[in-house]
Amino acid sequence: MGELAVSASPEDELMSIGLGSCIGVAVVDRARGVAALAHVMLPDAAADPEAPPGKYADRAVPALVEQVERLGARRMRLEAVLVGGAQMFDVGVGSALDIGARNATAVRAALSQARIPVRAEEVGGRRGRTMRLHVGPMTITVKEAGGREVELWSGSPSTRRTPAEVMH
Amino acid sequence: MSTDYTDLQLDALRELANIGSGTAATALASMLGREVELAVPRALALPLADAVDAVGPADATVSSVVLPITGDIDALVLLLFPPADAATLCGLLGVEPGSEVGDSAIGEIGNILGTSYINALASMAGLALEPKPPHVVCDMLGAIVASLLTGTVGDTGVALVLDSELDVADAACSLSFLLLPTTGGVAELLGRLGVGNA
Repeated sequence: MGELAVSASPEDELMSIGLGSCIGVAVVDRARGVAALAHVMLPDAAADPEAPPGKYADRAVPALVEQVERLGARRMRLEAVLVGGAQMFDVGVGSALDIGARNATAVRAALSQARIPVRAEEVGGRRGRTMRLHVGPMTITVKEAGGREVELWSGSPSTRRTPAEVMH
Repeated sequence: MSTDYTDLQLDALRELANIGSGTAATALASMLGREVELAVPRALALPLADAVDAVGPADATVSSVVLPITGDIDALVLLLFPPADAATLCGLLGVEPGSEVGDSAIGEIGNILGTSYINALASMAGLALEPKPPHVVCDMLGAIVASLLTGTVGDTGVALVLDSELDVADAACSLSFLLLPTTGGVAELLGRLGVGNA
């Protein structure tokens, strides 16, 4: 949670477990076989400058780009997949009004600023999710509590889907 | 990142949790007609992500009841049951687990326990507190706790979690009882307990 992982090893699997209002942001270079995943908790790092870079949307995206580039990824080939941002409770105390949606907005804005297209997403709703990124086949799966693991995106061209087709 | 609270402050908060959950345990015991044991509460002051991890495994499926508290402080009371224990509790109350009635019974237990916890807290710390209606959600532990904590503490960095464990005798049924105050709420609580920051 709040963490960021990167890999160029085909046998690796990157995971964000128990995404509620948090968002798992994957940035990949398929041609190079490099992938990174951040577990974003909140939109904006302004008030907490010492936090790990994966925790906030605005700092997570540049950190993801830097990490995959360090392993040889090319910026122009980068693609993103988003999972999470649910609103699990109707209750809000303090500043807690739909953090999931605010996280999604902040992540999309940061990706757009970095000119990284979003290839697939499963965002919103009311359920928690676990996201897995299999680096070798470059596939991303999503599992809800008590549910089955379902493939959301595959890096192979035949099964590629556009964001519009997978929006909920 | 270190915690912002002193040992003295954490002790005071732990004592508060002890009295609150003791009252809740008594309420549960009289509801079920069984003895309820209470473990020594934990007062955790941790960076947000670590606090979520400290509550338990992120991918564990849990039944939860959330009771928002407003008034002199804003906070959430969160009850967590392993699903099997929630089913046991439904059985003890004579309702079908997993049914609408079962969920509503779990919500009602949360309501009664949360309210007695909060009332004990209110009278000890001299606070006016009002519980709102409970919400019942069954989902992944990490998703539940992170979603709630990002709301109560936001980007202030440090989350405070008061964690009590209740155990129903002879029924293999336990539940966690968490108080998640907002950052402003913790400061107010400490002030009322006479251990606030000068």
